[in-house]
Amino acid sequence: MTVTDVLVAVAALIAAPPAGGFLVGVDRKITARLQGRMGPPLTQPFYDFFKLLSKTRVVAARGNMVWAWSYLLLTMTAFTLFFLGQDLVVIFLILAFAGAALAYGAFSVRSPYSHFGAQRELIQMLSYEPILLLTAAAVALQTGKFTVSGVLTWDEPLLPALPLAFAALLIALGIKMRKSPFDIAASEHAHQELVRGVYTEYSGRYLALIHLAHWYELVLILAFVALFWAQPLWIGALAALAVFLLELFIDNLAARLRWSWMVAVCWGLGIGFILLNMVLLQWLA
Amino acid sequence: MGLLTRSRVKSPWILHYCTGGCNGCDIEILACLTPLYDVERFGILNIGNPKHADLLIVTGPVNWKSEQVLKNLYEQMPEPKLVMAVGACACSGGVFHNCYNTLGGIDKVIPVDIYVRGCAARPEAIIDGVVGALNKLAES
Amino acid sequence: MTGEILIGVLVLLPVAAGLLGLIPMGVPARRALLIPVSLVLAAASVWLTVTAAASGPLTVTLPAQWESVLTVLDFLLLAYFIHAGLGARHSLVVLLSLAAAAGLAVLKFAWLGGHVSVEPAFHVDMLSGLMCLVISIVGSLIVLYALDYMPRHEAHLHLDKSRQPQFFLYLVGFLGVMNGLVFADSLLWLYFFWELTTLCCFQLIRHDLTDEAKQNALRALWMNLLGAVALVTGTGLAYQLVGSVSLQELIGAGTAAPALLPALALLCFTGFTKAAQVPFQSWLLGAMVAPTPVSALLHSSTMVKAGVYLVLRLAPAYAGTTLSVMVALFGGLVFVVTSILAVSQPVSKRVLAYSTVANLGLIICCAGINTDLAMAAALALIVFHAVSKGALFMAVGMAEQQIGSRDIEDMEGLGFRTPLLASAMVVGMFSMLFLPFGVAFSKWAAIEAAGTEGGWFIAVTAFLAVGSAATLVFWAKWIGRLTTQVKGEAREEKPFFAYAGTIGLVGTAVGLSILIAPLMQWLILPAQAGMGYGRPFDLTGWNLFTAVGSFTPWALFIAVGLAVLLPALLVKGPAGTETAPAYLCGVNVDGDRRFRSVADSPVPLAVGGTYWTTLFGEQKLTPVFNWAALVCLGALFVGVIV
Repeated sequence: MTVTDVLVAVAALIAAPPAGGFLVGVDRKITARLQGRMGPPLTQPFYDFFKLLSKTRVVAARGNMVWAWSYLLLTMTAFTLFFLGQDLVVIFLILAFAGAALAYGAFSVRSPYSHFGAQRELIQMLSYEPILLLTAAAVALQTGKFTVSGVLTWDEPLLPALPLAFAALLIALGIKMRKSPFDIAASEHAHQELVRGVYTEYSGRYLALIHLAHWYELVLILAFVALFWAQPLWIGALAALAVFLLELFIDNLAARLRWSWMVAVCWGLGIGFILLNMVLLQWLA
Repeated sequence: MGLLTRSRVKSPWILHYCTGGCNGCDIEILACLTPLYDVERFGILNIGNPKHADLLIVTGPVNWKSEQVLKNLYEQMPEPKLVMAVGACACSGGVFHNCYNTLGGIDKVIPVDIYVRGCAARPEAIIDGVVGALNKLAES
Repeated sequence: MTGEILIGVLVLLPVAAGLLGLIPMGVPARRALLIPVSLVLAAASVWLTVTAAASGPLTVTLPAQWESVLTVLDFLLLAYFIHAGLGARHSLVVLLSLAAAAGLAVLKFAWLGGHVSVEPAFHVDMLSGLMCLVISIVGSLIVLYALDYMPRHEAHLHLDKSRQPQFFLYLVGFLGVMNGLVFADSLLWLYFFWELTTLCCFQLIRHDLTDEAKQNALRALWMNLLGAVALVTGTGLAYQLVGSVSLQELIGAGTAAPALLPALALLCFTGFTKAAQVPFQSWLLGAMVAPTPVSALLHSSTMVKAGVYLVLRLAPAYAGTTLSVMVALFGGLVFVVTSILAVSQPVSKRVLAYSTVANLGLIICCAGINTDLAMAAALALIVFHAVSKGALFMAVGMAEQQIGSRDIEDMEGLGFRTPLLASAMVVGMFSMLFLPFGVAFSKWAAIEAAGTEGGWFIAVTAFLAVGSAATLVFWAKWIGRLTTQVKGEAREEKPFFAYAGTIGLVGTAVGLSILIAPLMQWLILPAQAGMGYGRPFDLTGWNLFTAVGSFTPWALFIAVGLAVLLPALLVKGPAGTETAPAYLCGVNVDGDRRFRSVADSPVPLAVGGTYWTTLFGEQKLTPVFNWAALVCLGALFVGVIV
């Protein structure tokens, strides 16, 4: 790890919230346009964030506050590890800890709605976690490295070798972005929901922390997508942006579906795609 | 206007509760969310959770059943919060005036910041009311 | 010479202490007897490991007359099993005992004949040392825990006459027997200790003498006897091919001779039965009828660990063969199916039991992957799983005594009802689940070891990935249940040894996870080197760098520790005016304790867990998974023979 790596990580830590918030703003604008509306200004996520920060505290359990902080800090840990070029499996497992922290915060209040959301959050993790881990394994099968820095030294783009794994990653991305048809635990703005799903009992500044964590998470997952075309990196960035837009279209085309269907799609289609890709990769090599 | 106040004005999240009216105003409120009126332009979201809401929009004359619910919802909203009474019933009891089972207006139960008249209130009037409420917030 | 004395102490002292304990005595006297024994055992295990590390493997050859003693004891033991089987009219137990006896008779009298075995009886290398440390230290803590647990347990049952003497005989004796098992080099000695662990397990499971306990004990007995038959057959086969019953010679002769693979497969199968792998998981699940110290012992340091020990011990012999691939697939399959089964379990001990089977499956899977990194993962998992699982069983047992239930639904808000115990439980579960901790480290290493291998190991990687996700769900929702904030006073009884043991083990799990690099350096890598594996890690700066990935334990601990502990310590609870009841659609009555329901009547609020039985139900999935595992086992044997 060199000084440059550390500088990159620090820069990414600082740049991610504006970038993530901006992407969410783009999301809301485009979603509105797809529905024939004007939509809010691009800066809307930041208004929401600062407004939430300025609200007084209304809390049902201390655990709720503690875990909101932990969720943010753990997500930031995973984020930093990625930009320090660390191990992908480690990053995804830490991200799993973060996701669980969000659920624990919801569990800490004796509220039926937040419990419901938390259970569904865990079911989401059951669905996407294998996809993320296996995608990392597929990347390693091709490049021989599990570390981000190792993958970056691989000369060729990964996408031509791992198209199916990439497709599977899109499913995981949809869940992580909380987009239909996989917004099981809590949908983003303007979708109908059982109260507010896993966020029901988080409020004010703690909800703001969760928004911030989502921005980090969004940038992290998109950065992982960009890793599939890391040489040169600008194509990867464009690919990530294209994938982001694709998710928005899917969100607006799809209805919300049942959790059992989500598990079936992720385990059947998602894992199936990655395995097929890995087998083909071995067979062709 | 500071950043926080500006953010508050730009991002009012709504909790919508009907205390027992005819649902005419409720339909008009939901009409505000449609592409024709598109209140999300102003950052308004119908959030459906008092713990996230900034603006409580209430319709209906408040019957005995909904009184306690209204109080509970109001109490669960974090400060700063605003209450908007929409429609004749919510403002004064309207057609239910002096009915044995109603209280006759939101302000009998919780403090109201802004009244929107009409039976039913038109979407333009409701949006106007929200803007009025936000002005109040900006001044405070 | 020191080595031989230490081996003698570690094997015979617990048995002797157990026998001495048969003299009727009160609780203080039993404490006075067993506390020093535990301390001596722990100290002796450390001393032995240090000796083995310093001066290489120790071998002990016993005088010839021991062979005759061994033969007599072997047949006495089988006679006892036949007696137990006849008494319970359990034909399977009788048949399997007879089969084992017949096999043993052929092996001992026809093939080995009168000639005196020249093999050393015991061979203590670093792998044995590592196992011995786990058995003696974790096991001793469980014995101390039992000293607090059993009097309460018997008070609860209102027994006329205390049955603690027998209980402690088998509990403490178990440690000696297990030590003997991991020291044994001659397969005949291994067989003897193997059967003794079966005996201890049988007696401990049926300890409470309820019908269910007797039933489950018999099930454990026949399944383990099936393993014993495979062990005898495998030993015989190996003797015919190698001309020796020494494990070391078997491993030395291994990789080159495909003809030997069926024998190794049989020995691995023996390990699978003892490690309660699917389809034999039912005996371990049934074992939870016994008092909690038994579960803690069976699941963490003894019994099931004997199974994985044998599979690991033989790993160098089948490295690079079909058997290795099949073992990896089988272990991976067991890991994933039992993790999925655990998701739908509402009973805490069953969750723990399935998690044990899953982790043993993971160890076996690592043995099958059979690379340097996978072997390090397997050995680390033996240590970390023993520590964490021992702690969790002890904690659950204490919780059961305090709240009168082992149901996860009844553990709601335990963090506020018995804060100290629940904190230990939650940290223990974190140590089973999340990354900087040791068990998750092993998962990381296993995924990275399998992920870069290709071929059949692609399927293994998929098993590991799905299994890890399922693991996350069943632990996470249990933790969520424990940490829900409930109102009411905390009432907690804190028996010293039980609490000290539990918290001590949780602390050990955390400490060892932080110190994983030194643990690798001084214990696991030497053990691995003794088995003929290389060093997978570059330990620069106490980090674990491999050729494919990197794991930075202390940096991760600082980051994750800050992320979790800082908020937990610094965030102040809401002030009076800032508290709000949970959202109940506005129909709350007195805060959020009740809500207004039909006809305005207040109904108490209840929040339940979710077990998704429609998708993950045990009844539905178990037959499917059993068949899948049987097919996998069948493929293993067919693959090995072809």
